[in-house]
Amino acid sequence: MSDTVSTPVAATAAPLVKPAARTPSPVMEAFRSAIRSPKVVVGGIIVLVVTICALFAPQIAPNDPDNQDLINMLLPPMWAEGGDAQYPFGTDSLGRCIFSQMIYGARVALEVGFGAAVGAMLLGTALALLAGYFGGWIDRIISHFVDLWMSLPPVVLSLTLMVGFGTGVGNVILAIVLVDWTRFCRVVRSDVMVVARRDFVSAAKLLGFGHTRIILREILPGVAPLIITLFTLQIGIGVIVEAILSFVGMSVPADVPAWGKMIAGARNYMYQAPWGMMLPIIAIFVTVLGFNLLGEGLRVTLDPRLRKRSV
Amino acid sequence: MFKALINVAARRFVGAIPTILLLSIVVFFVLRALPADPLAMMLPPNATQADAEAVRHALGLDRSIVIQYLIWLGDALRGDLGTSISFREPVTRLIANSLPATLELSAAGLLLALVISIPGGLLLYGARGTLFENILDVLVVCMVSIPAFLWAIFLMLGFGVTLGWLPFSGRVDPGIAIPAGGTGFLLIDYFFTFQFGYWQNALSHLVLPALALALGFSPLVIRVLRSSLLEASDDHYVEVARQRGLSERQIILKHMLRNSALPTITLIGAQFGFLFGGTLLVETIFSYPGIGNLMVQAVRNHDLPLIQGIALVFCVTTLLINTVVDVLYVVLNPKLRRA
Repeated sequence: MSDTVSTPVAATAAPLVKPAARTPSPVMEAFRSAIRSPKVVVGGIIVLVVTICALFAPQIAPNDPDNQDLINMLLPPMWAEGGDAQYPFGTDSLGRCIFSQMIYGARVALEVGFGAAVGAMLLGTALALLAGYFGGWIDRIISHFVDLWMSLPPVVLSLTLMVGFGTGVGNVILAIVLVDWTRFCRVVRSDVMVVARRDFVSAAKLLGFGHTRIILREILPGVAPLIITLFTLQIGIGVIVEAILSFVGMSVPADVPAWGKMIAGARNYMYQAPWGMMLPIIAIFVTVLGFNLLGEGLRVTLDPRLRKRSV
Repeated sequence: MFKALINVAARRFVGAIPTILLLSIVVFFVLRALPADPLAMMLPPNATQADAEAVRHALGLDRSIVIQYLIWLGDALRGDLGTSISFREPVTRLIANSLPATLELSAAGLLLALVISIPGGLLLYGARGTLFENILDVLVVCMVSIPAFLWAIFLMLGFGVTLGWLPFSGRVDPGIAIPAGGTGFLLIDYFFTFQFGYWQNALSHLVLPALALALGFSPLVIRVLRSSLLEASDDHYVEVARQRGLSERQIILKHMLRNSALPTITLIGAQFGFLFGGTLLVETIFSYPGIGNLMVQAVRNHDLPLIQGIALVFCVTTLLINTVVDVLYVVLNPKLRRA
């Protein structure tokens, strides 16, 4: 791989001079152009840091997030007057360490964001492949249902689902999947239709390959860049929805730290301790920004056709 | 043209019926999967088994779920959405009292969103190809990453708590009477009863929640406006206008902006549910007495009749707005008028 050249001029010229022994794999090409995009790099670093916080929360957090230090309630951050180095970002109304809660909060946020994105991607893409590849009545049924489902207000739908399912990480994920799969289905379907009309798909059909093989080996790789982009953006959306649901008290059980719950708890003390609200907000913002930057960067670098598309 | 408008509105209206039915079915059946028994919240603690059965029978809860749904649907069509469990008031009255507040807030939010995003989109378009564009682009990505409810908290902490410039709780100061029997839109009611002091008070209460909604919504509009301006810049009429010697400013403001209005309006119609849904959290944060706030309370109390009713109203309102947008689209697009 090391002898392949990365400048576009040389890459196109090389085969003319002598047939290249190995053409650079498209995955490597995409990777190379992706790491040259500042958005991908910055977004990727943010996502990496948040992921490390989530994975190694017990090692990073200075305190047990549920430990109530009732002598040190509503402490300000350590750099402010009256702060304590034991609690870098201060404590909440029950004397719990805000910094540790933020670190642990990343766990629920990423669990929900990632889990929901996987679910929505699988469900949405599967239906999109069926609709886009087979067309006809299958497409009409699926597309009509997607239109119908999308006209239900998302926040209302997810809240109602949560009331029905009850709280818990698994149910939050399920609710988001059931609301957001349509986003994947609609966008991926139109891309599948474009790819399905390409010559190599007709060739595969003429060669007598089965539908499953054609869908999985010929079409899916063609729409993969779009799916990766949507997947990344969906994680950000999942993080926001989880924050909304836990703010309302409809997400995780009381003993699990979550950013939305921290905001809701700090709301009653916003005059005495506004930082208790600001810090989880910053955590949500930075995390979502990371996924959005990564997703938008990938959108442009992986698929130039998407550059002009707005949504 | 009038005929075309009625056509569009009628088609939209008919198309909306399955959506409303689907929502009502989903909401009804999902809520029946609820692990908690709604009866437990309605009965006094010393109720006997026989009392429970009597109430269950009175509410029709002892019949099959499909029958229950059909009864509910029949009542709903006659304008009866049942009685709220937690407020012990008819759901329709609760909704009627709080819907105008939410509509007022959403309208103000939409207006502010346009005020923010039209200059924003133009700025982004004007900066194309420069370093400044990259900076603006990153700013827009940042804005996309802040949902309306986070803006609400920012604004409340900044302008409400820290600076103390604007009120951030309720629709008016406590002690100011909400006019009974008016339209429910405070800005209209106070204006036409010449209570300008109250009018100002209501307006100042509206600013922060509306701004929160607007800031959450405007990055979407900015992006569509930018991309449709970019698309328009390749069009023939722009070239023709240039050759006629119009200045770039004239071309953008008089021609391109008007052509970009259509995709922008489409987006607003398609995404209105997003803005409208944002009222749930924004109203809760600002203790604003609209149906969003009511919905959150209903959800917290597991108040099934109220949740069903509000979900239905949210859906119907969103669909109505879509219809209005479609009609507006025909009015603005000469190509569709002849159809």
